[in-house]
Amino acid sequence: MSDNQTSATQVDSATDNATGQTTHFGFKQVDKGQKASLVANVFDSVAAKYDVMNDLMSMGVHRLWKRFTIDCSGVRAGNNVLDIAGGTGDLTAKFSRLVGPTGLVTLADINLSMLKVGRDKLRDRGLVSNIDYVQADAEALPFPDNHFDVVTMAFGLRNVTEKQNALNSIYRVLKPGGRLLVLEFSKPTTEQLSKLYDMYSFHILPKMGQLVANDAESYQYLAESIRMHPDQETLKGMFEQAGFEQCDYQNLTGGIVALHRGYKF
Amino acid sequence: MPTSALVAAAAESVINKLLSLDEDSESRLKPLRGARLTAFVSPLPYGITLSFSDRIDVLTEQGTFEETVASLGSKDCCIKTSLQTLPELKETSQLTRLIQQKALILEGELNVAQQVSALFQELDIDVEELLAQKTNDVIAHQAVNTVTAVHEKATRAVTWIGQVVGNALVEEKQLAAHKLAVMHFSDEVNVLRDRTESAEARLRKLEEKLKNVF
Repeated sequence: MSDNQTSATQVDSATDNATGQTTHFGFKQVDKGQKASLVANVFDSVAAKYDVMNDLMSMGVHRLWKRFTIDCSGVRAGNNVLDIAGGTGDLTAKFSRLVGPTGLVTLADINLSMLKVGRDKLRDRGLVSNIDYVQADAEALPFPDNHFDVVTMAFGLRNVTEKQNALNSIYRVLKPGGRLLVLEFSKPTTEQLSKLYDMYSFHILPKMGQLVANDAESYQYLAESIRMHPDQETLKGMFEQAGFEQCDYQNLTGGIVALHRGYKF
Repeated sequence: MPTSALVAAAAESVINKLLSLDEDSESRLKPLRGARLTAFVSPLPYGITLSFSDRIDVLTEQGTFEETVASLGSKDCCIKTSLQTLPELKETSQLTRLIQQKALILEGELNVAQQVSALFQELDIDVEELLAQKTNDVIAHQAVNTVTAVHEKATRAVTWIGQVVGNALVEEKQLAAHKLAVMHFSDEVNVLRDRTESAEARLRKLEEKLKNVF
């Protein structure tokens, strides 16, 4: 992480702790009330090209990260699964087949554009019978207590304004014995990889966004938001603070992404 | 990069592609909907689960065999075996023996394992038809005929070599002298050589005596 990024993190944490009025939006400081709409603008802008850009940016590896998340989910036939920030439905598609006709998958996303893209994609694949679509804020999930067997959140948590509130909310809706899996960008484990990754994220990614989605700014935000996201150990601590037990994480691709897992007992 | 996920993704693509090439596989897949077959095959470090719906999803099992067995559903089956034993599983008549020898541990619904076995063993893919769609009928026919002929010749050659080697081992080897017999024969030759040499010496002495007499 560069000095600028480090100081941005420190400033951000300091502001959050001191006043509680502002938060980060990439490297910028914005009012907390503003962040959700700013994030919404980003995803409204990228929704149509989201899948193409994901494949392009990660060279297809995001599919393996998501597949690994599904492998770790332990989802069985008849389970009730919540896929928060499910976007274009990559996890939901697989979960839908795994839970079968006796189970239910709820695809939740705060962004209507992403939800619509996801719904259309899944319907085109013939997945209709056991999927619900809900526009929902992860910080205040509109579901009863102890409702889901498994909750997943892939590449969504870093966009949430109050991450701890989201984890608390997820804990509430999980059944005892249920598990939460959060797949999210994290901190590379080696200095060399970190430098390489910084160069890619800040120089190549926005250009790619400009070229393919005609939107460099959103992809600049993506790179910045990744750097502002808590590292592996911090996020694990947040899991524990929410009440999750047996929390652990697994670094994927040298820590570029980490899969955090916690149970509610 | 999670290697296990890569392996599972590749396997899933291949399996579903193969099934899509056989029209009848859909009817064989139908009774398996909602079922799961998990296999722990040593020395693979993780179990592989096949989850059946209108297609097959391949998952890697992160828990142990015992943990998987503990969470088996009514339409689930879990097996534990080794790579060496895998070819023997084709013969259903061998299953009891393998279970008794503990080369195969089977938990859950046996029917699922049998139906999965049938699904793959009865796979019938019309390669010529598929090739014809990409090229034309004549090229496809010639190509398939050539490959079939080469395959048959290769199979015959392998069978013939097998028979020759088998015969050599079973019959010719018995005709060959035993190691002990060869050693005994060598000893006898040595004794004979010694005797010949001593007879030769005696003859030489007799010759000299006769020369002195005459």
